[in-house]
Amino acid sequence: MSHASGPPPEDRIREDHRRAVEGAPDGGRDTTPAVGRRGGPALWRRAVEGSPVALARQAFKDARWSYLYKDDTSYRVRNGADANERIQAAARRMRGSTEIPEGVDANGPFINAPVWTWEVPAYFFLGGVATGSSFVALAADLAGDERSAAIARKVTIAAIGPGAPLLVLDLGRPARFLNMMRIFKPRSAMNAGAWCLMAFSTAGGAAVAADVLGRRRVAKVLGAQTALLGTYLGSYTGVLLASTAVPIWARSRLFLPPIFVCTAVATGAATNRLVLAATGMPSGHPTRDALGTIETVAMGAELALSSFNEKRLGQLADVLEHGRAGRLFEFARWAVRAGLMLRFTRGRFAWEHHVASGLYLAGGLAFRFAWIEAGKASAGDDEAVARMARGKATVKDRLRDGRTTARVRTSARHPGRDARAARVYADAVRRLSLAIEGVLRRG
Amino acid sequence: MTEIAIDRPESRRMGFFTDTTVCIGCKACEVACKQWNDLPADGAVFRKTSSYDHTGSLSASTWRHVRFVEQTEPVPLPDLPAYGGGNGGHGEVDLVAAAEAHGVPQMDRWLFMSDVCKHCTNAGCLDACPTGALIRTEFETVIVQPDVCNGCGYCVPSCPFGVINRDPYDGRAAKCTLCYDRLEDGLEPACAKSCPTDSILFGPYDELVETAKGRVLALHERGVTDAYLYGAGDEPGEQLAGELGAFFLLTAPPERFGLPAQAESPAQENGPVATAAGLAAAALGLAAAVGAFARAHRR
Repeated sequence: MSHASGPPPEDRIREDHRRAVEGAPDGGRDTTPAVGRRGGPALWRRAVEGSPVALARQAFKDARWSYLYKDDTSYRVRNGADANERIQAAARRMRGSTEIPEGVDANGPFINAPVWTWEVPAYFFLGGVATGSSFVALAADLAGDERSAAIARKVTIAAIGPGAPLLVLDLGRPARFLNMMRIFKPRSAMNAGAWCLMAFSTAGGAAVAADVLGRRRVAKVLGAQTALLGTYLGSYTGVLLASTAVPIWARSRLFLPPIFVCTAVATGAATNRLVLAATGMPSGHPTRDALGTIETVAMGAELALSSFNEKRLGQLADVLEHGRAGRLFEFARWAVRAGLMLRFTRGRFAWEHHVASGLYLAGGLAFRFAWIEAGKASAGDDEAVARMARGKATVKDRLRDGRTTARVRTSARHPGRDARAARVYADAVRRLSLAIEGVLRRG
Repeated sequence: MTEIAIDRPESRRMGFFTDTTVCIGCKACEVACKQWNDLPADGAVFRKTSSYDHTGSLSASTWRHVRFVEQTEPVPLPDLPAYGGGNGGHGEVDLVAAAEAHGVPQMDRWLFMSDVCKHCTNAGCLDACPTGALIRTEFETVIVQPDVCNGCGYCVPSCPFGVINRDPYDGRAAKCTLCYDRLEDGLEPACAKSCPTDSILFGPYDELVETAKGRVLALHERGVTDAYLYGAGDEPGEQLAGELGAFFLLTAPPERFGLPAQAESPAQENGPVATAAGLAAAALGLAAAVGAFARAHRR
């Protein structure tokens, strides 16, 4: 959790003040806030329900008074016929070019850095392993290897199990985690991901339960369903990062989701390979060979996509080479390269390939952490943010081209009266969340 | 695809027009905002960046921030009359001439800009919010419902203007509400009310845009040809996040003020493309896994 430690600034100021005025003849000044606590909702009620407030006048007339922009001053001129064109031209002159004007520094901060801590990349990794395992389970089922499929389904659940708790831990108000399920909002990648995570976990859990009960066919169907849900679970994390204003993430929008899918498939296959070897699958078994091929191809694709993306990003990719993100990327790349090398040494010893699988896992984990760290560094890179906004961040994937791609547009729409059930449900979840929070705070 | 969450057909879009040419950097708006919204103090720290601005940036506990842009290169004084239309025409003191006579043009200049949440039409934070805590009100402003927000932090990197942030002590996200509570009671927002130079104007959006256009043209006539509107009056293809509910009159490139030259809701801009790429890759990955297994087992 990224909570700050120690008392908040206002409490420290209050304490300093108290110490300074202690012993003062008048007993000092009362500095407690008028109502509520930091960030708390303002809970107040007017004396008579529906009564107007003092000073309030019809149609915001209290805001109409001005000594500046009435007609008897030269504050403004009357807008002529060509006013709109002149206004648009003025704005275009100052912010329309694709180059930051000469001599103008990017005077940040422009955007806020992500506040996520280690829980999020850890969840990305585990979610990836689960996605990869669900793919393996379906592939093994289709190839007729039922034992491996059943094990892969168990690995899926074991990997996704800690996922939801990790996400809850990362929240600023963990007791309110249920609010994620308050509405269904596909345009928010996080909301869609939360629903997908729930559906994936449920389907995966049910598949394992069917396995335990000996219902092979039910388990197969549920396993296939889990894998289908996995196509979104494994890719939405990339979408989540790409749908932000952080330059390194936003400009990688076509590459980040595929990169994350590659990591997911590779780490999932590597985990299953190690688990199967540990549960006594002999070397030379076709499933072990297949898993070895999958993890190697996926990791190779990951490495190739990352390198290409980094080249494409040009100057923006500086944050991938320096600082903490740079070190993590460096480690991840070398781990993957070492794994690939071990893979192609013909494997005189069985452990060589196990080490390779382990290196892929370590590399995958480091890649997840590196991408989050790179985002934090990139958000603080004022130059990069300013250049991206000018549409000159990358050579090929320019922002202006992006504007023409299909996208959801905002238009004013008044609330429908038909969605009453949804509203009742949303309010019930909100109340439940507040109740949970109340209980946990008291405890 | 915005949903105005509160049904009140008679309400209009309300907004801010912040005219930086008349801002004197007094920070009264910051104080008024903190007082009205009961926001905690952040502690006054002079920063090492040699700026006199000790607020630094907008944050979860600072919803108005007067940005000081200290420029060191001297610029000629524009011909701005101190009052009324006359250049000393009504027997007033010609301040510009007086200043030039005393060598003031060689002075550095400061730009002030009272920054605030832009209440975008295509709001990145609102698109990102997974809990529905962020909503659009009947005044087409964007607010966080503090009783719903669970502090997931996704709105923070989703804002292209760096406005909304998560409070490290409270755990929830917070930002300017355009004084939604005051608006509901027919009062203008606290910052606009307190502004001593009318740099912050509040009103119905359409009327504000007309006022702002007239102001830009007036400045152009007087020789401030760099004056332009940031966030309003643009052609449909060139709008910032589909027009900003709180827009600005600036006289320098946006980068000087820490503003992006162009902006769009990141979720709307990148979401569909990224989702398509991700799902295609995942389908390919699944197919490749199935293929690898089939091939290994056939042998």
